[in-house]
Amino acid sequence: MTQALSDTVVETIIEVGDRPIRDVHADIQQAARAGGHVVLRNTLSRHNLGVGLPPGCTLHAEGSVGYYCGGLNTGARITIQRNAGWGCGEAMSAGHITIGGYAGMSVGAAMLGGLIHVRGDCGPRAGVAMKGGTIVVEGRLGYQSGFMAHGGKIIALGGAGPSCADALWQGEVWVCGDVDDLGVDAVITEPTAEQVAEVEAILDPLGLADRSREWRRIVAGQRLWYFQSRDAKAWLMI
Amino acid sequence: MCGIAGRILGAPGPVGRDLVALMAAQEHRGADSTGFAVYGTPRESGYRVRAMGFDRARLERDLADFRAILRDHGADFAEEPSWDSGTTRHYLARLVITDPDDLPAWVQAADAMTDRFEVQSVGRSLEIIKDVGGADAVADKHGVRQMNGTHGLGHARLATESDVRPNASHPFWARPFPDVAIVHNGQITDYYTWREKLERKGYRFLTWNDSELIAVWVSDRMKQGLSMEEALTLSIREIDGVFTYMIATPGAIGFAKDRFAMKPLVLIDQNGAIAAGTEEQAVRRVYRDDAVDVINHDGPSLHGIWTVGNRRVAA
Repeated sequence: MTQALSDTVVETIIEVGDRPIRDVHADIQQAARAGGHVVLRNTLSRHNLGVGLPPGCTLHAEGSVGYYCGGLNTGARITIQRNAGWGCGEAMSAGHITIGGYAGMSVGAAMLGGLIHVRGDCGPRAGVAMKGGTIVVEGRLGYQSGFMAHGGKIIALGGAGPSCADALWQGEVWVCGDVDDLGVDAVITEPTAEQVAEVEAILDPLGLADRSREWRRIVAGQRLWYFQSRDAKAWLMI
Repeated sequence: MCGIAGRILGAPGPVGRDLVALMAAQEHRGADSTGFAVYGTPRESGYRVRAMGFDRARLERDLADFRAILRDHGADFAEEPSWDSGTTRHYLARLVITDPDDLPAWVQAADAMTDRFEVQSVGRSLEIIKDVGGADAVADKHGVRQMNGTHGLGHARLATESDVRPNASHPFWARPFPDVAIVHNGQITDYYTWREKLERKGYRFLTWNDSELIAVWVSDRMKQGLSMEEALTLSIREIDGVFTYMIATPGAIGFAKDRFAMKPLVLIDQNGAIAAGTEEQAVRRVYRDDAVDVINHDGPSLHGIWTVGNRRVAA
């Protein structure tokens, strides 16, 4: 672990490599609690990097990370240069994560708040069971994204794969581009001008605003809400 | 949860070493047992046989009885047998045999010994090494890092649907088809239905592990005339469950993923040299340069075939 001082910020460079993740995690937490900027080098797609970071710190991963990076984030700013494995940002409640490449399965699973920005595509079930916050995907959403999302927004600029927004609850999936097909109980609605403005306001700070986009706003048809097992038509829908 | 891996080298070399590295990085996915399927330079005649005996004290008698069955089928040992020098009660033997008159008939006869001595693989080039424990422990015990070849498979097992025993470990040989092996991560939910159907066709299963079924299922379809790609595609439609599996032959490694996209598969393809695994951090043990691109096969109903010899035919 090496540290460099600038005028205002302490930057800590942490080598990941083949070190025990417990040791790496301790180094990250020590630097993060001091409120500085943490740089991870030679990440080798290792799991559980940058979990449980506090507000006020920033972390940059040079390269790709494995599973659960940025999980339980409570306000840190995290940037990942390349790809992230499964469950990036899982259960985060605040903060901002940028993934420079591909986001693996279940990015933002069960997240409560904050923003995850994926510059590439997403794997299956992005935002599964999310309760709040926003996931912005510049590429394409994977299979069954938005599955059982209870809240929050997923915004995809490059289309969506099969079974989009399957069994959605109160979340919203916004898609620009083609959608392979919708999941059960998902319906496309015409967004209001106010709703579009709200989405564009999210995209603006990311440099992604484009008022000419045609949006599909996908929400729950509510036929699976309080599902009645004696309802034969509901079973057929599944 | 299990971890699987596949490796194809651009030219024959230390494939055992790479498979151990791939599996050591995935040991957390299942430390019950570890196994390797290594494809060495093919023999022009005769077979390499890997077999497991369950009582080291009976080793000499096991080999004598096994040899007697071989001779009944017109074959014999072509080399002196060897075995691991471990301290476990079970042992893994390596045998090189001449060609039996009728391979399936010999396998069926040899299977009469399965209460004490079980054939784990038969092939011109295939050798399956598997045992309880993690990757490094199994590799050290059986000399896997020293095995050269063109390609192979690896597996780390977290036992769920059947017990932890050395012979219930992966990879599984597609009994009685020589040189075919599989590794699997997932659960087959219509296992008993398919097992009964295949048993009615005369196939035998030595474990209650659902992965053994996939090996025989795919090989049976290929025996009926389907190409590997057709068999892989059909398996996604016909086999119920959540799975990613890889199947290896002397010329290729194929993979298939279920309709629900539950089990991961990542790949690095460097001009036909392949490193594939359940987790990216595994393939990064082989290609440590982060600038090398990883392909995520994350979607549902995927299949592909990587051929050995620097050509990729489908994915």
